[in-house]
Formats: sequence, C-alpha cells, structure tokens
Amino acid sequence: MTGPGAAWRGGGILALLAALALFPLVFTNPLVTTIGVDTMIFVVAASAWNIFSGYSGYISLGHAVFFGTGAYTVGIAARDWNLTGTTVFWLLPLAAAVAAVIAVPFGLLALRVRRHTFVVVTIAIFFIFQLMAYNLPFTGGTTGVSAPFLAWQPGTSNDPFYYLAMAIAVATVGLSWLIRGSRFGLQLRAIRDDEGRTRGLGVHTMRVKLAAFVISAFITGLIGGLWFYFITQVLPPSGFDPAFNVSVALMAFFGGLGTVAGPVLGALILEPAAQYLTLEFPNAFLSQIILGALFAAVVVLLPRGVIPTVGEKVTSWRARRSDHLAARVAAAAARPSAERSSS
Amino acid sequence: MSSYRARFVSLAAAALAVGVVACTSSSSGSAGNTGKSPILIGASLSLTGDFSADGQAFQRGYELWASDVNSHGGLLGRPVKLVILNDGSSPTTVVSDYQKLISVDHVNLTFGPFSSLLTAPAANTTARYRYALIMGAGTTDDVFHLASNRQVHNVFSPSLPVKDYLVPFANWIVSLPPSERPKTAAYPMANDPFAAPPVQVVQQILQRAGIRTVYSKVFPAEVSAYKGPADQVAASGADLVVLGSPDIPTVSAFMQAFQQVHYNPKVFAAASGPDGGQEFLNAVGVGNATGMMVPNGWYGSYANPLSHIMVQEYIAKYGGTASDINTDVAEAYSVGEVAADAVKAVGTNNAKIIKYLHSGVTLNTVQGPARFTSLGENPRPASFIFQWQNGHYLQVLPAGAPGSVKILFPKPNWIGQ
Amino acid sequence: MGRLIYEAIIDGILIGGVYALMAVGLTLIFGVLDIINIAQGILVILGAYLSYVLSVHLHIDLFVGLLITVPAMFVIGITIYWAFIRPLRGHERTGMALLASYAVAIVIEGILYWIFTPNYVQLRAPYVTASVRVFGFYLPYIYLYGFALALALVGLIYLMLYRTKFGRSVRATMQDQVAARLIGIDVNRVAGLTFGIGVAVTAVGGMMYGATSGGFNPNSGYDLISRLLAIVILGGLGSIAGALVASVFMLTLESVVNVWSPEWAIVVFYAALALVLIFRPAGLLGRQAVREQ
Repeated sequence: MTGPGAAWRGGGILALLAALALFPLVFTNPLVTTIGVDTMIFVVAASAWNIFSGYSGYISLGHAVFFGTGAYTVGIAARDWNLTGTTVFWLLPLAAAVAAVIAVPFGLLALRVRRHTFVVVTIAIFFIFQLMAYNLPFTGGTTGVSAPFLAWQPGTSNDPFYYLAMAIAVATVGLSWLIRGSRFGLQLRAIRDDEGRTRGLGVHTMRVKLAAFVISAFITGLIGGLWFYFITQVLPPSGFDPAFNVSVALMAFFGGLGTVAGPVLGALILEPAAQYLTLEFPNAFLSQIILGALFAAVVVLLPRGVIPTVGEKVTSWRARRSDHLAARVAAAAARPSAERSSS
Repeated sequence: MSSYRARFVSLAAAALAVGVVACTSSSSGSAGNTGKSPILIGASLSLTGDFSADGQAFQRGYELWASDVNSHGGLLGRPVKLVILNDGSSPTTVVSDYQKLISVDHVNLTFGPFSSLLTAPAANTTARYRYALIMGAGTTDDVFHLASNRQVHNVFSPSLPVKDYLVPFANWIVSLPPSERPKTAAYPMANDPFAAPPVQVVQQILQRAGIRTVYSKVFPAEVSAYKGPADQVAASGADLVVLGSPDIPTVSAFMQAFQQVHYNPKVFAAASGPDGGQEFLNAVGVGNATGMMVPNGWYGSYANPLSHIMVQEYIAKYGGTASDINTDVAEAYSVGEVAADAVKAVGTNNAKIIKYLHSGVTLNTVQGPARFTSLGENPRPASFIFQWQNGHYLQVLPAGAPGSVKILFPKPNWIGQ
Repeated sequence: MGRLIYEAIIDGILIGGVYALMAVGLTLIFGVLDIINIAQGILVILGAYLSYVLSVHLHIDLFVGLLITVPAMFVIGITIYWAFIRPLRGHERTGMALLASYAVAIVIEGILYWIFTPNYVQLRAPYVTASVRVFGFYLPYIYLYGFALALALVGLIYLMLYRTKFGRSVRATMQDQVAARLIGIDVNRVAGLTFGIGVAVTAVGGMMYGATSGGFNPNSGYDLISRLLAIVILGGLGSIAGALVASVFMLTLESVVNVWSPEWAIVVFYAALALVLIFRPAGLLGRQAVREQ
C-alpha cells in the first residue's frame, strides 16, 4: 500500500480534515454551526455503532441506551455536584465510563441469542432505559435534567462544541481504522461471516463481541454527554430517542456497513439533509412522507450502501477499461503477426 | 480504502459545503429599522410529532393575532410578519429553529414553542441572544426556574401556571355543606408535568378539609393500558375522582373503563381532555360528557371584551362556533397581545422589552390581566372550571363570577346504563 | 386487595387477547420471512383508521367492517412486500428489511397525519362500553368478542398451516428456506402471501385496538411496536400459539404489577422478556435456538 494510491488517499483525508476544521470559521452563522455540531455528533455515533454492529454483524437498535446514559450522567453529576461552566466538560469521560459499565451486563445478556432476537433485545433494553428515565427518582421524570447555563457569546458559542466533537470524531474514526486492520477486527468480521466456524477455530466469540460492544458503548456515551451540554437538557424521549437508534444504523448502512468511511459519509450527508428538510418544510407531514420515501428508495436501491456500491461501480468501470485496453493491445499484437504471416 | 474512495469522500464533503452555502444564502431576512418594513416575529411550533394537535392550534392563535394586528394598521405603523418553523416536537430541532430565526431570519421578537419540554431549550437559546421569549404554554415550574431564566429573566408567560389550574374546583368542594360534600376521593395522575401538579395541589387542599384519599397513584403518561388504574379507582368506590390526564385518550379510556364496570362517581374532574371541544365529544359521546369538569384559563364565551372580539375573528377566519375554539388559541393570542403592548410602549429592542415587562405593569389580554413576577410568571389570568352539560361547555366556577352557571352535581349516570 | 388482584388478572387476560391479535401477524412474518416488520405498529393504526372510516362514514358495524378491512390490508401487505422487501438481497438482508419496514412505517404515518390530522379518534359501538356481570366481575363485551376472535384466528391459522398444501409450504419455508426452494417451493410466492396474511390479520388487531384504547392518532404506533416485539420474542419467533400465550402472560403480569405501581408495570414487561431470554433464548414456545446464523 505504497505509491501514488497512498498519496491520493492521504491527501484526500487531509483535505477533508482541513475542510472540516475550517468549516466554523468560514460559515460563522450559528445556525450552520449548530447543524455542524449535530453532524459531528452523528459522525461519532454512527462510527461507534459501526465498530460494533458493522464489524460483528449484530445489528443493535438500542444504542441510544448508551447515548442517553452518557447524557444523563453528565446532567445528574453537574446538578448534584453543582458544577458549572467549562468544568462540566470534565464529566465526559465519566459519562463514557458509565455507559461502558452498563454495556457489560447488557452485552452478556443480549449477545447470547440469535441475531434477530438480538435486535429485539436491544430494542427492549432501550425501552427499559427510557422507562427508567421516566420513573427513577434521580432522573427528573418527564421534565428531565437541565444543564447549567453556559453564558458564552451567542455568535461563537457553538465552536468549542464543534471542535471537541470533531476531535472525538477523528479519534473514533482512527480507532475504527485501527480495529479494522487488527487481529481483533479480523475476528469480528469472522464472527460476522460465520460465527460457528469461528468459534470452532478457537476464538472466544463472546469475549470478542463483548469487547466491541463495550468500546462502542464507551464512545457513544462520551458523545451523548457532549450532546447534553450542547442542547442544554435531556428528557427521557430525547436522550433515549428511537429515532437515534435508527439514524445511526441508517447512516452506517447508507455509507457502507462495516467500512471505516461509510458511517462518516452517511452522517455527513444524512444529518444536514434531515435538518435542512425539517427547517425548510414546515408542512411537516409532507416532509415526513418525502423523507420516508427517500429512505425506502435508498434502502432498496443501494442495499450495500453508498461506498461499496460506488466502489463496485468504479471497480467494474476500471475493469472494463482495462479489459478494453487489454483487448486493444491484444488486437494490436495480433495484427502485426497476421501482417507478418501474410507478407 | 482505495484512492477512489478517499477522493469520493473529499468530494462529498465539498459538495456538502457547497450545499450548505446554497441553503443558508438563499434565505432572506430583512429587518430594516425604517419605514414600513415588517416586524418579524419568529416561533418554533410542533406541527408534527407528539404535540402536533396543540402545536397547530397554537399556530392558528399566532396567525389570528397577526392578521388582527395588521388589519388595525400593524405595530408602530409596521406590519407584523410571522416566521413559524416546525420543530417536530423535538428539542434538538427547537435549538436550531431559534438559531435560524434569530441569526438567519433576523426576527425582531421570539414567541415560544408549545410545550415545557421544548420551552427549556428555546429559553436557553434565546437567553444567549438576550431575546425575550414570550410563551403561552409551558407554564410548569421547571421552566421558570431554569438557570438561564434566573440569570437573564427573558421568559414570560401570560397563561395561568399549571399547578393552579384546579384551585377553584378544590375551593368549591370545600365550600359545600358537610352533608353534601364527598367523603372519599381518588387521584389517579399521569406522569406528566401538566397533568399531575394540579391534581396534587387539589389533593393537598381536600385532604386538609378532611376528605379521605382512597387512591392516589401516578401512572405512565405514554401508555395505553389505562384499564388497570381505572379499574382500581372504580374498586375504591370513591365519591370524587380528580384525574390527572394530559390528553383526551386518557380521559376517554378512564370514562370507558368506568362504564364497563358500572362505576359513576358523584364528581369527576379531569386536568385536561374535556377542554378539547368537539374532539372530546366525538371520543366519548355527548351524553357521557355531561357532568365532566375541567379547568381552563380561557374559553370561547369568556366574559371579556378582548376575548369576544378575538372569538368573532376566529370564527370569521376558521368557521365553527365559540365553544369549538381550543384554549391553545387564546394562549397563543395573548402572547401576541403582550408583545404588542410591549412594542407599542418601548419599541422592538429586546432589552427594553424585558425591562418593561418586569416593571410591574399590568397588561390586558384575552385571558385576562397579565402582570409578571421576576421569573416571568403571571398568577393573574382567568381561571375557571367548566362543565359539560348536554353538549354545552359551560363556565361553572368561580361560582359568583360573571358568566358562571349552576353546577350539575352530582354527576348523572353514564348513558347506556 | 385480593379482589383487585383477581380483577387485574381478568383484565390482563382480556387485554392480552387484543394484543395477541396485533402480535400474530408479526410473528408469522418473522417465522417465514426471517425479518422484523417494524411497520407492524403503524399497520395496526392503519387498520384502526380503516375501521374508523367504515364505522363513522358508512355506519358499518365494527365486526362486519372487518370483511372489508381484512382483504384490504391483505392487498396492502402484498404490495409492501413486493415493493420494499422482495428486492432486498444479500448478506445484510435482515438489517435492510428492518430499515425498509421502518421507512414504510414513516411514510404510512405521514399519510395518516395528512388525511386524518393529529386529532384523536376512537372506535365506538354499544358493545364497547356494555359489559356482562360474571361472579361479581364485569366483563366488557368488546373484550369477550375480541378474545373469541383471537382464538378463532389462531385456530384458523393453525388449520391453514397444518391442513392445507399452502400451509405445508409455509412450514417448510419456516424450517429451512434453502431446502424448501430445493424441493420446488416458490419461496417468493410463499413469502409474499404470508406477508399479506400477516398484515391482513393485523386489520383485526387494529379494530380491537381502536375500540379499546380510549383514542388513537397516527402517533400511537410507536408505543405499540415495542410491546409487540417483546411479546413476539417472548413467545418465540414464528410461533403463533406462542404469540397468544405471551400476550396473555405479559399483559396479565403487567396488570397485576399495575395494582401495586402503575409506573413500574411497563418495566416489568420488558424485564420479564430479558429474564425469559436468559433461560430460554428461543422464547417460551420457540423452536430450539441456533445460536449462530
């Protein structure tokens, strides 16, 4: 993997990073940067989801459990320990840790069953958490938890959130890439392809799956905590939002499940698009119908996700081109011999 | 990842950037300070999602107010223009909505979204810009006590605080002679910031007056298994039921369950639901609605001159009758009135508006007088109890107030028994 | 207290019948097509709205109206299958089908909002509020009819599965799709028809839900789908009888816990699911689970 291909790839990534880093400085409009922060949050969430579900093949529709747990952890800690201002950001690792801890019993229960059952178990656990958020005494019930007021200047108050989210995003994507190329990643993908055989080859599948699950939970909890401080409140239906579950899955699928760039692409395209649709079309029923129809079209027409599908098309185009070339070379090579033999 | 994929990703990011520029630069937002340029007022409402029924009623209220103001020459000679965005009942979208309204559309004033759950992010966002947020709903304690409001004092609500809704009802019960007064009471409450607080206040008042509580439990607001709590209330045989219901299905389900087990309390009041006009009648039937009591700050025939005018204009614009008008409409309308009064007094500068509204001035709205505490609450608006009697939605409490009729007590039995 | 518990048990059984009608379609689709139809919640609501239109605008009795709504939903089901499920192929079929059905759910919900607005409506009939008194307990007629209907439908489906040629194809496909194809069964046709049947049965569930819920609007589907999924998994994927047993069991359990604390009752619902899965990963009446795909 050296030579011009790697240079292109490296250059592409650097260009992307530069563009993303300069984004809030170029587009200073707070509305735009709010969408930017939301998008970055989803880049992280979708990538984290993909680290588990994409690589292992176990589709989780309950990842909001970790997101909401992270959000509530920061909220409850800030409230009970009377933290304000930038100190609250130090709670993020705590949020991630709590989410990771929850992932252990969750995973031990859920990862023992078949894949279909697994999906539903994640949904069930998700609803349990949402209900607990409504009912437990320390979560604030229906009105949830509010964040301490951050009296930053309105024009640029989004920027620190954006850069923090972006930093987390870069780290997550980097981690995803590392995992994919590692033995651990190979084990995960082997589990996805044929778990029985993988176990037969001596891999401790439960440990591998659980490890991926916990890593995924850790990151999701981390970004959930950030989201809470950004939105300034968390409620049971917003911290534990069924739409979140589906969104991260959709973004990963759209971009290409199990790839490193897939979830990133999915989030970069889908989140701003969704926000734009909601803002520009107040006749919401129509926009809901359009969104659903688009969604359905994507699922049916791009079943492998954008990156693999586009990648395949590009590969087959290259192959056809090189076939073409090969055919012309062969034809050219054949002609002189015919001429030679006829002369 | 092949080189093609890397380039693809970069291209996508670039396309995205171009797209975003196109979107944001295409929006217009003029807010000139001279001549007849319109006064822009922005609001985020729940046009879809959980709160959509009320969100749309609110929209009608805001729009009615705006068209009224404009037909009378506007504010300070300038026409009023509403910019309403949909938040889909989602707090995340509320934040972006207000960001857009203030920084892209450059609205002069901001009105509130429909529910408390959404008002908090709206209040926090507008607080950062030091914009006043006048809202008609979302009058629960936690909104007024938000950290941002305690610092910036930008939240104002002319509507009655939720927890005070059933106080006239409780006072009436206590005022009954002991021989007529109910002896036992049941308080089923949905876990909802609008439904539970008023019932809890009633329970305190009635318990102090010696009425025994035979049932008091909170049930989840978001579930359709109401039969359990309803059957338990029926089994308790309470004389009086005060139901903390957030919406029509809850009341309707309780009423249905009571009918199924042949239980008819002497008095049945609900926090919300029976105030839903025709929708409520469709759900439970005209006959069964009779006797049901519900609180409200405002209703179609409220004896107030401003309200009369608004009602006529609503009917002219949307049809129907006075009793069809959802209270949300009046709540939204009174938001507009507060804003209008403030603008006429001090202009469109938000800092001045905030100061003016906190100055102890009393304003008049379709919901009655409005005078704001330091946290923006208004304890003064109209506060009534209504009762359905044979298809008519009638004001019954406070007993001596203009417009009140005699209460139907005890509640007649269900139709079909 | 004792009386409250008895009443709770009776309530639970009766409501369980309603949920069984909503869950049967879901588990049938699970069993044959191996996919999770997330649209089931909104399809119940769609069935309820269809019954509503017939009842309010054409004054057709709720049960008689089923003769129209059931075939209508059958057609809708087949259409959904052909347009959105059948084209999906490949390794990620399960996940894609899930997302596709979610997309369908969003579209249907949007259309319902557009036509019916968010206002709550309810199905009404004399037998909804009337009840018969048995041993001191009131049993509402609507629930009794609904429960009877649930049993009848389960019976009918069993008859279909075990006494008809088509039923044999369905069972074969349930057991092993590849083998079924090898012995000449047109798996696509079986899948499509089964999807249609699953949605058709949901029409009945929709009517019952609409009559007993106290009011519904297009948003009511979300709460339903999570409970239905829990019921179906608990009962065992693909097991019709399991759906019935699980519905009654879960709803009765919830109803009894409701006596003590309504807020925690729903948690019990999902916790029971988790508990059962620890000991029986295939569900109560599911086929013996194969842990790997």
